[in-house]
Amino acid sequence: MAPKPLKLVSTTLFPIPLTERLLGAAMERGADFAEVFVERTQSTAVVLDEEKVKSAQSGLAQGVGIRVISGAKIGYAYSDDLDQAALFRAARTASFIAHGGGSEQSFKVTRTPLPTFYSLKQHLEDVELSSKRDLVVRANKAARASDKRVKQVSATYVDSTKRILVANTRGHLAEDTQDLSRIAVQVVVEGKKGERRTGFYGGGGRMPFSHFDTFTPELVALEAARQACAGLGAVEAQAGEQTVVLAPGWSGILLHEAVGHGLEADFIRKGTSLFAGKVGEKVASDLVTVIDDGTVANSRGSLNVDDEGNPAQFKVLIERGVLKGYMYDDFNARLMNTATTGSGRRENFTCLPMPRMTNTYLARGEDTHDDIVRSVDGGVYCANFGGGQVDITNGNFVFEVSEAYEIKKGKIGRPLKGVTLIGVGPEALKNVSRVGNDPMPDPGMGTCGKDGQSVPVGVGLPTLRIDKMTVGGTRVGGAK
Amino acid sequence: MTTNYEQLAKKMVARAKKRGATQAEAFIQVGREASCRVRDGEIESLTEATSKGCGVRVIVNKRLGFAWTTDFTPSGIDAFVDRAITLAEVSAPNPLNGFAESRDLGALPDVGSLCDSAIISLAPDWKIKAALEMEKVCRAFDPRIKTIDSVEAGENVNEVYLATSAGMQGGYQSTSAYLYASAVASEGEQLQTGYWHDVKRFLSELGSPESVAREGARRAVRLLGAKKVKSQQVPVIFDPSMAAGFISSVVSAANGDSVFKKSSFLASKLGQRVAAENVTIVDDGLLPRGLGTAPFDGEGVARRRTPVIQNGVLTSFLYDSFTARKAKQRSTGNASRWYKSMPSIGTHNLYLEAGNKSPEEIIKEVPNGFYVTAMLGHGANIVTGEYSRGANGVWIVNGELTRPVQEVTVAGKLTEMLEGIDAIGSDLHFRGSTGAPTIRFKELTVSGE
Repeated sequence: MAPKPLKLVSTTLFPIPLTERLLGAAMERGADFAEVFVERTQSTAVVLDEEKVKSAQSGLAQGVGIRVISGAKIGYAYSDDLDQAALFRAARTASFIAHGGGSEQSFKVTRTPLPTFYSLKQHLEDVELSSKRDLVVRANKAARASDKRVKQVSATYVDSTKRILVANTRGHLAEDTQDLSRIAVQVVVEGKKGERRTGFYGGGGRMPFSHFDTFTPELVALEAARQACAGLGAVEAQAGEQTVVLAPGWSGILLHEAVGHGLEADFIRKGTSLFAGKVGEKVASDLVTVIDDGTVANSRGSLNVDDEGNPAQFKVLIERGVLKGYMYDDFNARLMNTATTGSGRRENFTCLPMPRMTNTYLARGEDTHDDIVRSVDGGVYCANFGGGQVDITNGNFVFEVSEAYEIKKGKIGRPLKGVTLIGVGPEALKNVSRVGNDPMPDPGMGTCGKDGQSVPVGVGLPTLRIDKMTVGGTRVGGAK
Repeated sequence: MTTNYEQLAKKMVARAKKRGATQAEAFIQVGREASCRVRDGEIESLTEATSKGCGVRVIVNKRLGFAWTTDFTPSGIDAFVDRAITLAEVSAPNPLNGFAESRDLGALPDVGSLCDSAIISLAPDWKIKAALEMEKVCRAFDPRIKTIDSVEAGENVNEVYLATSAGMQGGYQSTSAYLYASAVASEGEQLQTGYWHDVKRFLSELGSPESVAREGARRAVRLLGAKKVKSQQVPVIFDPSMAAGFISSVVSAANGDSVFKKSSFLASKLGQRVAAENVTIVDDGLLPRGLGTAPFDGEGVARRRTPVIQNGVLTSFLYDSFTARKAKQRSTGNASRWYKSMPSIGTHNLYLEAGNKSPEEIIKEVPNGFYVTAMLGHGANIVTGEYSRGANGVWIVNGELTRPVQEVTVAGKLTEMLEGIDAIGSDLHFRGSTGAPTIRFKELTVSGE
């Protein structure tokens, strides 16, 4: 028997009259604002490990989150029980932060037309499971066939179809369906004397399933295997300040960590970011223009509407080194007397929205990739990154470079192991000395964590040269 | 009307069996959470909710399917169990597939109470008062504390229910309460953050709001003026929190699945000396009043105490049922899960046994070295055994803590780091469900200028 697609029976996500009554209940104690967020997310995962499709998985999360705002105070309650009594209980719980009178009334809401940066004819939840399984089976085959040093392959395909409805007491109603997919392949290779190295690659986005006809599992698998093999025989990296060149594309996660988070409005309002109060000031080299754009077609971080019901935007954050503005959600924007930039995001209905990035990238410059590499006498070429983290308060950021090479007299040389980059965001940006004119393909595998909430993001960076970056390594002294 | 979740789990298993599952397992989680954040003497946010979810694993013709849902309506539950059956058809048959075996099920240990009635009946304003007090203490600690990142207090009550077709059924309720304070100090152009938290199963064991706030503020102020240092190889001390993180990284390499795949630097070292002689690392699923204590693991297997490294010798890997079968071992009761995911190998109460030196002595013995109090990045590669993380802390000169340091990394090989632990403090401190005392590494690479 052929497996059937998992079909979700749903016409409208949530009844509008009930939404309007819930808003009324939330305002009973006379708050300034109330919002109802409804979510229904169907997700699928297929996991291949040790040459076998180990499991197929699927999940359904549904619930309602109710937010009440009174001044700078927020009351929040959620319910995964869609029973009316439970929902009204949540609305009243959320309203407790408000004091004073109000009368229960219904708040009329009207749908706002939205732009469309992704729209799938066939939602991912409706795609045959067997097609999803075939992707991981093909990836495994391709990775193992690519090189006899490949010892372990694990491949995962995950997708979700998320439906949201946001309504608030300003009469605003927005609904969106957000599909998201990702394939990921991890490869372990074994070289001489039992040396083991790993490679990881993947991607996807808010694309139709046919995306994997061109972004094939074979392509992903070969890249993961190539990265793993490239690391065999790697030598220890020299520790200390060096010139680094970042390869285009995925390196954008460095920008995301080093700069992006510090420009989120909640940190600015609380004065906990190094970038607070610096609009109009020079915070980076003239070559640096940073953009956060939620409107990139089909990209992993794109949003037709954010989780407060506002359309995503194109925002210039830093222009030729000068700080232009921050990323705002509606709540922080109002407290700071400005307007939202459509940056209010939350992981799911159990969470409060926060200002978050969407797709964050550095605008292209003028140099070619090869000229930039040739310009470096001695340094490190960072081809691929693992995880990274930032302390937005002191600006310290850290990155594990999963694929690195030494640069000697303008040429890329031996692979390096155990390389970590560390820096202070604004200082690193001031030390950007060359920006590439190359495209910056984002494969679509970024997930950003903040305050315990994960959201998908897009990243991008052309080839970049940064001077005086601290390279963490294990070797001190010796010939440079 | 209250739902009998234990019965509901059994019903899910029965439905799965009826639909063709040869084995089935249902896992239900029900929780209640309440939390409060404050700012400028006022509530910033107050969150309260109850939530629930269930996950069901089925084996159909040796194939594994897994589904989860938050929809507990009768039709929702039927649909989700049936979905798990459909999903199994897509995966590959594997004779090793299956859940906990009967020989691993059976008598469960008595782990004492996991539930504090004081937390269950906590007054709604407890968290508000605690958070307000923490903010006040943070701000009063030092004039250089100019703002706070967040202060939060809250409590959780959780219930877990499990039923399997092998006849296991059980459930337990547990509580926890927590305090969190993150302060920001500023001087000149520099901002520094410091945070501290405490989380306990029993309210009476939770640190006072004042002590949590003071420690958060102290950690922020201590870093003011931090600078890079020159790259060098020196003795490095991890405070108990940082040491706990290090222990977690090391033990993730004892994960039975990584070991089976030889994707761990510890894979071939069972029974061998892997660490300094005074190093004993234990995962104790039975630790009295421990945050990670419960009678059974995510598959119903009795929890136990497992020494992973004993007196420097690698004594055990950690297994769940599937991995144990694959590796021809027994489950160590280390299946961790929540309803949205299948079980995977994890730890319960993991700690490094205390030594007998005071942290002051450990610092005093260092002529030139680095005392690490905060770290950035993930750092440990368990396949290659390389370790490198961003670090903040205080530089030690002639046995004294002197100037603050930031923007450096500490790096080494995990094997050499374990062998090079030359001092262990008497100050074992649990941070959630992981605990460690102060430790000193004989020599690590500090990368800076």
